[in-house]
Amino acid sequence: MKPQSVHVGMAELVALRHPALLVTLGLGSCIGLVLYDEANRIAGLVHIMLPDSRQSRNETKPGKFADTALPALLAELNKLGASRSRLKAKMAGGAQMFNLPGSGQGLLAVGNRNIEATKNLLAQLNIPLVASDTGGNKGRSIEFSTETWVLTVKTLGKSVQML
Amino acid sequence: MEREDLNSIQLDALREVGNIGAGHAATALSGLLNRPVGMAVPQARLVPIYDLPQLYGAAESLICAVLVRAEGDFSCNLVFMMEEEKALELADLLVGAFCCDDEEMLHQLRDSALSEVGNIVLGAFVNSLSAFTGFPLPVSVPAIAHDMLGALLDVIVAIYGISGDVALVVQTALAVKGIDGELGGHILMVPDPGKLPILLGKLGVL
Repeated sequence: MKPQSVHVGMAELVALRHPALLVTLGLGSCIGLVLYDEANRIAGLVHIMLPDSRQSRNETKPGKFADTALPALLAELNKLGASRSRLKAKMAGGAQMFNLPGSGQGLLAVGNRNIEATKNLLAQLNIPLVASDTGGNKGRSIEFSTETWVLTVKTLGKSVQML
Repeated sequence: MEREDLNSIQLDALREVGNIGAGHAATALSGLLNRPVGMAVPQARLVPIYDLPQLYGAAESLICAVLVRAEGDFSCNLVFMMEEEKALELADLLVGAFCCDDEEMLHQLRDSALSEVGNIVLGAFVNSLSAFTGFPLPVSVPAIAHDMLGALLDVIVAIYGISGDVALVVQTALAVKGIDGELGGHILMVPDPGKLPILLGKLGVL
């Protein structure tokens, strides 16, 4: 059976049964987080933009913030029958595309805060982060296949990474 | 005030900000290149933040972007972006005469030229903004990046995303007469969260 290829846009989250190919193009400061249950053959990807919904006035899409994205993705995976204790995580993204002197803090460094928030939440939820490619200053396009459970990361000017 | 609430008078005022800013930017760029630089009539509109990158092209298209940050009462980030190919052509208008065999050296020369183009264009934009609002808006040094459009605009979308799901986009395009065809670029003005009402107040349309 040919896998269903689904593009996951900003602040979106998608959970699917095997066979599936989850794709996100042009990740910069955003995070592409995959949670998957190999035994039950279920995977989900969420495209996180910001670390914390409490700094914002309105939240319409749970995928937008790390703290709302994780519970929402867990709920979707649960609906499909994934086992909470079998879930593993892989993630990519969180780059800082523009490096101004002194911009290691502040609005331009949102990528770092996204990485930190996502890692902390995974740790709190006891979901093992088995592979990641985060930070730096280059954009990434990612693809996760339920055929191989590999997260493929493409970066300009670098060889493709299989995580 | 939420961005969703901007009325047509406010949008007109912001379009005029884009118009004046881009006019100054075009003049500055023309002076640097010693070539005519045209500009499109700016548009000001509200778009869902998730649609913002598509206004400028496909997520994986290659882009050269220069960003500067203005501090002060109306703090904001400003971006000048061009298609990568056109950016290289523009760089060669400036440094082509110094062309050398050393690839790395040429790359650095081009980056330095493009950073300066961004600096001059965005500096002129901010100076005009500062002149008619009376806000001192000191500008940072430029940061240049070459990457996928989607990746470069992620942080811009995230900044808008802090306040809501709608972005104010003042679309301004500059066009330089190149050797074949035109070399275009876009200017983006991205107010820090909560700063837009300060500008609108100063413009008398809050």
